[in-house]
Amino acid sequence: MMLRDRLNVVPPLVGAGCADELANAGKTLFGTQSPLNDSIAVAVTSIRSPQSVRRAGSTDADDQPVYFASADMVPSSERRLFISDTSIIYAAFQNLTETASAKGPEWLQSEEGSRMVRKLAMDYVNFTKECWIHASQSSDPSEEELQFSGDHYRCLYTCFSLFTVLYVPEYGFEDAPVGDELMEWLNVHFIEPSTEEGDHLSGLEHPWQDENFWPYLIRVTLRGLSKAATFFFGVLLQHPCDDLQRLSQEIIPLLNSQPRLQDFSAERDFSYASRRWKDKVKTLRIELDRVPEVDRNDGFDNWWDRFSDIVSILEGRGPVVQKICEDLGADWKEVSAAWGVFTDARLRRQDLPDVVAQVLEDMPPDPTNLEDMIYAALFSGDPSKALLHAAQLDPWLAAHLADIMEALSLIERDVNEDSGLTIREYYVLSYAQYLHSDPALWRLTVAYMCSSGRIGLHSADEILIRVPLRLQDKHRIGERDKSVESARTRGLSALLKDVNETCFEYRREDVRRVVCRMAAQTFVQEQEYGLALSYCSSAEDWAGLGRVVDRVLEEYIANGPEQFTRYVADIAPSLQSYRTQPGAHGIFIYRLMFAVRYAEFHQRMLNQEYQDAARDLITMFKEEIVPKSWWGVLLSDSIELLRYSTALLFSHSGAYILLQKLEEVFMRAAQGSGEDYLCMLMRKSNASREKEALDRLKLTRLTLAKYFARCTVIGTGGRPIADQNSSATF
Amino acid sequence: MIQTGLIQNAHNDLLTDAPYDFYGLRLATGSIDQRIKVWQLDESNGNWKVEDDWKAHDAAISKICWAHPEFGTIIASSSFDRTVKIWEQTSFGSQPEAQVNLNLNGAGSTAPLQAASVPSTSRWVERSTLVDARGTVRAVEFSPRHFGLKLATISSDNHLRIYECLEQSSLTTWQLSEEVDVLALPSTSSPSSHSVAFATPTQTNATLDGASASLVAQALQQSQAPSGQTRPGMGNREADGGWCISWCKDRYWGEVIAAGSGISGVVKIIHMSPSRRPTTLLALDPSPTPYPSSSEATATALAPTSDTDTPAPHAITSVAWAPSCGRSYHLVATGGRDGHVRIWRVKPADEGDADADGEGEGSDHRWTGIVVADFDHHRSAVGRVEWNITGTVLSSAGNDGRIRLWKATIGNVWRPAGSIGVEQTEEQQDNDVTMDENAVTE
Repeated sequence: MMLRDRLNVVPPLVGAGCADELANAGKTLFGTQSPLNDSIAVAVTSIRSPQSVRRAGSTDADDQPVYFASADMVPSSERRLFISDTSIIYAAFQNLTETASAKGPEWLQSEEGSRMVRKLAMDYVNFTKECWIHASQSSDPSEEELQFSGDHYRCLYTCFSLFTVLYVPEYGFEDAPVGDELMEWLNVHFIEPSTEEGDHLSGLEHPWQDENFWPYLIRVTLRGLSKAATFFFGVLLQHPCDDLQRLSQEIIPLLNSQPRLQDFSAERDFSYASRRWKDKVKTLRIELDRVPEVDRNDGFDNWWDRFSDIVSILEGRGPVVQKICEDLGADWKEVSAAWGVFTDARLRRQDLPDVVAQVLEDMPPDPTNLEDMIYAALFSGDPSKALLHAAQLDPWLAAHLADIMEALSLIERDVNEDSGLTIREYYVLSYAQYLHSDPALWRLTVAYMCSSGRIGLHSADEILIRVPLRLQDKHRIGERDKSVESARTRGLSALLKDVNETCFEYRREDVRRVVCRMAAQTFVQEQEYGLALSYCSSAEDWAGLGRVVDRVLEEYIANGPEQFTRYVADIAPSLQSYRTQPGAHGIFIYRLMFAVRYAEFHQRMLNQEYQDAARDLITMFKEEIVPKSWWGVLLSDSIELLRYSTALLFSHSGAYILLQKLEEVFMRAAQGSGEDYLCMLMRKSNASREKEALDRLKLTRLTLAKYFARCTVIGTGGRPIADQNSSATF
Repeated sequence: MIQTGLIQNAHNDLLTDAPYDFYGLRLATGSIDQRIKVWQLDESNGNWKVEDDWKAHDAAISKICWAHPEFGTIIASSSFDRTVKIWEQTSFGSQPEAQVNLNLNGAGSTAPLQAASVPSTSRWVERSTLVDARGTVRAVEFSPRHFGLKLATISSDNHLRIYECLEQSSLTTWQLSEEVDVLALPSTSSPSSHSVAFATPTQTNATLDGASASLVAQALQQSQAPSGQTRPGMGNREADGGWCISWCKDRYWGEVIAAGSGISGVVKIIHMSPSRRPTTLLALDPSPTPYPSSSEATATALAPTSDTDTPAPHAITSVAWAPSCGRSYHLVATGGRDGHVRIWRVKPADEGDADADGEGEGSDHRWTGIVVADFDHHRSAVGRVEWNITGTVLSSAGNDGRIRLWKATIGNVWRPAGSIGVEQTEEQQDNDVTMDENAVTE
């Protein structure tokens, strides 16, 4: 379906032919191309710098439209069905060519190989035929108008079937005469004369009195429609003229006995029979010539001339056939096919272009008719040219023809040095680009691209990476129901998984990783930290993993311990798997470990399990998993535990560790790197200066001092509680 | 070509930029009205709905650019108010965090933070303002993702600036990592060509002919006295200064950017590396050179220029580097005030060459470039050129009031592939009705 090359959008901004007005008003257009479907957004901008034309307050009072335009129409449902169904055949053909390349270049010429090629080519033919029938039947006016008419699919069907007739013959018939097959193709696709005409004539008592009688009879003879021809010659047995009666009597067995290739097992027999038959035609000609001039007219027509035309056809007199065709309004296709049936019954596929070239010289194809141009190119043995026209008719046709053509070495396999593409790749990529007009067809777009060499693969990357994952639509649902949400999350991740799998399938690992990273980023924004983490690790993006953990820790700073522990619950399960997994991600795993442990600590605090909380705190310091930036926060957290009056929660050594860390922070702060240790505490306590954070820690120091004092006092009277539970001694 | 949608009235004044996000599901529009709007595509019906709308700058917006989504939902906007601003879309419920981040801006930040005066309708928070430019910032573009969260800007002070985000979690700290006067940057990396051979090929023995000598003079005058002389083209100061930038999308060649500045009509392809000053790999110069250049560091047009004298150079106002998509060469499109759309095929140096000539000076790659397409269909200044995501369709916008598309044929010849305009056509009376369905009102 051809769209206009020159589009003018609505509402228009200037009158017809007044494009200048825009520039005169100091305006011009600009456009940006959409990654989604190659559509273009067009808007109006200023030619000159806005500063020079516009003073504050003076604005352009007109509407400021943004137009959206597209080079291709998004495939409608019927077209989409066609696209997806034929893609299955295409995929099968890719498997075939892969097999062929594994088995060696000769394999496709073998019986097995060529049978499979023909089978798939016939699949295309049959499928396009079905589409044609379907599209023609659904011309119900109540239904939505089809994007592509039935006639368009007929055209695809006709092109593909001609292609198979000429270039994908049955195995063993490559070198066989092609005439009968060509005529059959013509008869199937370009039905002449019409059945109605035949019905009309057969209903007449003296059909020869009808002006259409002889043209009809000539046409059916030309088309090799012997049944219809013999029927009407049978009618002529009633003709008042004896000569005509006699001649008709003789021509009927001739028409019925014309040798057909399919009836012979060996071509030699066929050509022998053809020659014998031609001799009989010659005899008929002699008889015809014997009819005296005066008896050659029956009062309605000069029947002799007409009969002579028919005999000329049977004789295969090229120039006469051509003239007859011109008179009948038949075109070059008919002449060429008749040539193969009558003039040269042994005409081979490889000789056809020479014949067609001669015919086309006198009867050129219609250059405005793409369909005809495709046939002409195919008849002329010029597949590349056929593709050129096919691409204009429908990118589908060019891509799928080129695919088979390359396998059969009908077109150049070498890469065009300038573009880096083979002919086939060019057309397949053009088709893929057409598919890209519908983002929902991304799988097919990618599949076609990935079958088109290096450039195709990299183009597929650009498509794959931009498949909208739709992970971000959560807020638009406005639904807070947890079950709905988790179902949605599963559904959305399904698309993400789909992209992932496609990447695996085509070995696009780099793309897969980027997609995972983007997904992780989205999950972070959605506070789905568990998912974010798993996609980071799937992308082996350890720095990203660290950032996710940072974000979770941020939740503590921003929203306090309860929210924080809830989020950590999402990410905690992954920790176990990372621990067992070797890899260069140590530092980030430590951070994750810290987040998990720190959340545990807060959980215990919330559960008032202070004893365990205190032990957690010390262990975290002991195991050195606390990032420096968090030391201040943890030390400040310890105040509550140190102040716990019912019992002494820290062992003496534990308290010493706290003191040690505390002193280190003070010392570092004095040396000027306090920020490293205090930044989180500053944020947690909304401190604008380092001093405020240090003041807070001074409180810890004081509390710690008191704690030691209590230790000393209680130590005289009994052991601290901590030591009753652990073996730690001091 | 068919029209697929319409936003009836996007802004209160002319638009200046409208880039799609990474997926093409959102559109950010910037306008002379100083506002940015973010539109969301409703895929069920093809309509666009405004999602966010805020006053972003104190002067007209010049360009907007989306960061790669792996860094979050971030845009950068440049403006005639000489600033570049970084905006992040915050998700619901994390507003307090935005506050925290703003407070966080501690030592080491190069940009002073302004209080985020974001209207309540917007979820976009201003994270940083870059104020280094001494003129209108005409273009801004985030680097390809593999170089990290980086940003290039070019402004009417001729300077190309590269910023690097130091803290991805907060987006507040952007370090000015490069600052290059594009005009003053030698066209080649050869150290000996600094003083004399301003805009000439690398060979030191290359003689200056009339044409390129005048170019040199012009360039020198440009860099020394950027105002007060008569200029070809639009004939006013607007033509001066930096115009356009476009990153090379490939990772392989390092950080490479094409920049157009001044009125010489030359686009420089500049390589940046952390260890050295930026160098020009190649200058795309469409003006014909009458002598065969032995060095290929200055690419020249192969366009036949038999008859007339050297055309006056014009500003290149738009440059677009196509995604290479596995091709062995790069496609760089330019559009300028001379009314020409050009497509350059740029070939990076062979590794072998680089080893032979470059000896440790990694920059001494001989990049080559030839014009593979040169169109003057717009017959007036070309304001913008842009590629689709696979580098197969080029779009160009001209003052003739049309957007033109260009595609390569099977023989790799670039040809017109349709155009879009805003003229009334006779048949439009009928179309009006159907289009109303897609009309979007704010």
